[in-house]
Amino acid sequence: MSEPMVTLEGVGKTFASRALVRTRSFALSDVDMVVNKGEIVGILGESGSGKSTVANIITRLLKHDAGTYRFKGRDVTGYSKAELMAFKSDVQIVFQDPYGSLNPRATIRNIVRESLIIHRPDLTRAQQDDRVSELMFEVGLGGQDIDRYPHEFSGGQRQRIAIARAMAVEPELLVCDEPLSSLDVSIQAQVLELFTRLIRDHDLTMVFITHDLNVARLLCDRVYVMFQGRVVESGAAREVLNNPQQEYTASLLEAVY
Amino acid sequence: MSVRDDPLLRLDRVSVALRQGGREMVSGVSLSVGRRELFGIVGESGSGKTLFTRTVFGLHDDAVVSGGEVTFDGRTMPAKSHHTEMKRLLGKRIGFIPQDPFSSLNPSMRVGAQITEALYLARGLSPKSREARDAAIAVLAEVGIPEPDIAFRQFPDQFSGGMRQRIVIAIVLAQEPELLIADEPTTALDASTQRLIVDLIVERSRTRGLSVILISHNLELLRQSMDRIGVLYSGQFLNLFQADQLAHQEVHPYTQALFDCIPTKDKTLADIRPIPGEPAGAGFGLAGCSFADRCAFAKDRCCATPLPINDAGQARFSACIIGKGA
Repeated sequence: MSEPMVTLEGVGKTFASRALVRTRSFALSDVDMVVNKGEIVGILGESGSGKSTVANIITRLLKHDAGTYRFKGRDVTGYSKAELMAFKSDVQIVFQDPYGSLNPRATIRNIVRESLIIHRPDLTRAQQDDRVSELMFEVGLGGQDIDRYPHEFSGGQRQRIAIARAMAVEPELLVCDEPLSSLDVSIQAQVLELFTRLIRDHDLTMVFITHDLNVARLLCDRVYVMFQGRVVESGAAREVLNNPQQEYTASLLEAVY
Repeated sequence: MSVRDDPLLRLDRVSVALRQGGREMVSGVSLSVGRRELFGIVGESGSGKTLFTRTVFGLHDDAVVSGGEVTFDGRTMPAKSHHTEMKRLLGKRIGFIPQDPFSSLNPSMRVGAQITEALYLARGLSPKSREARDAAIAVLAEVGIPEPDIAFRQFPDQFSGGMRQRIVIAIVLAQEPELLIADEPTTALDASTQRLIVDLIVERSRTRGLSVILISHNLELLRQSMDRIGVLYSGQFLNLFQADQLAHQEVHPYTQALFDCIPTKDKTLADIRPIPGEPAGAGFGLAGCSFADRCAFAKDRCCATPLPINDAGQARFSACIIGKGA
C-alpha cells in the first residue's frame, strides 16, 4: 500500500464578507479526500460546488480553516520555510484560463524559467535555457520562438505553455483546474493527449478538476463528486460514472451528452 | 407532419462580408430549413458560425450579406434590401435567443413587463391589459418557471442563469415566431443546466411546430437533439447531413475528425483522435478547402480546386472534392 500523497480530513473553508452585514459563506465543509501516489483523481461538480476551492487548498493558494491537510504524511500548517519551498516545487497547478494565467508582459522563456530560478538555483543560465527548450519540445511547442509574448500564441498553445511552466520543476503532484474547458473541441483533444503522455512519461500524480464527466471517465482512476461544498460520492471512476449511488451524481450524468 | 413541403428558409450561395473593407468572411452557403425542422450549425470558434447567422438574420451591423439570396417563406430578399426586410421579420416571425442570459435581459425591468413588451411589439397586445398579463404568465408557465404569477413581478437578477434563459425563451415564444434562432444558448450556463435548456427548446418547438436553427460548438449536443446539421469551418460550408446518420454514414473528413475528438459516453481514450494543427480563422478567401492542411485524406489538388457549393440545395451535401461523405 503506497503512502497517500494528499490527505484531507474534515477540511473546511469559509469566506467572510464584511461589505454591509457580516456574513460567512461555507465554501467547503468536512471534506475528506485522499490522493495516492501515481493516481489520477478527478473532482467533479457544478460551478459553485467547491471544486476549485479544493484545488486551491491542495496547492496552498488558500488556507483551509478547519480540519487537517497532510502532504506526504506531514501536516502542511506546520511547515518550516524550507519545507514550504520544497512543497511549492512538489505541487504545481494548471489553471482554467490560459489567457489570464500567463503574465502578458513576460516572454514565454521567462514564464517557464521563473520557477527554475526560484527552485533550481544550482542551474546556470544556459542550463535553464536548455531545460526550457526541452520542456517546450515536450509539450509540443518545439521549434517555436520562445522570446515571444503570450498574446502571440493561440489558446491551445498557451495552455501548453502553462503546462510547461508547471512541469518545469518536475512536480510530484499536478493539480489541473478545468484545464480544457476554455479550449476549442479539436484543441481539447490535443491537450488531453498531452496530459496522458505526461502522466505516462513522468509517473505523475494528478488532481483533475472538471465538470466534463466524459473527460473524467477517460482520464481518472478515482473521482470525488462535490455538491455545495461537500463530497457527495466517491470511488473508482468507472463505478461512480457507470453506476452512481447518489441521486445527485445520477442527475449530473443524465445531463451529459 | 408538415402541411407544406416548401422550405421555410432557403439560403442560396449566401456570402457574408464585413461592411468596412468588404472582406468576405463566410462564402457560398446553400441550405434550406424545412418547416418544423430542427437544424444545427456546428463550428469551432472563429469558424464564422455566429457572424454568419447573425448577419443573415439582420442582427449584425458590421457585416452584410454580400452575395446570394435569402428566401423566407417563399419571399426572396435581394441582397440590397435584405437587412431592412429581415429587421421587419425579427421579433415577429423570427425569434432570436442570444448566448448570454445575463446581459440579454433588462436588469431594471420586471420580467413580466419584458414579456408584455414583446407581446405588444409582436402581436399588438396592450402591455397593461389583462390579456397580455395572462398570456405572459401562461408563457412563463410553459417554459417551466415555477410560480409564474410571482415571477411576473420579479426582476431578472432574482433568477439563476438557467431560469433567466427560460425567461428569454418565454419572451421569444410570446412573439409566436415560426423560426427560432438560438446562438449557443447554453454556453453561459452550467453543464447540468445545458441539457434542460436544449431539451426545452426542442420540446417547445416540436409542440408548437416551429423551425429551429441552433448554433453550437458541441457536435454531440446537436447530434442528439437536431434533425440535420450543417458544418462551418473557416468561413466555408463543408458538410450537411442527417443528424442520426453521423455515426453510421460517411461524412465530410472534418465532421468525422470533429466527431472523433470529442469524449462521449462510450468512447475510450484510444478512440479519441485529436485533429492536428490549429483551426484557421474565417476570412482568408481561400480558393480550395481550408481544412486541407489538417486533413488526413488531403491531396495536392484540395488546396487549389475551388470548393464545391451545394447548388442544387440538396438535403445532404459534402464539399469534399475527393468524394468523402458525398
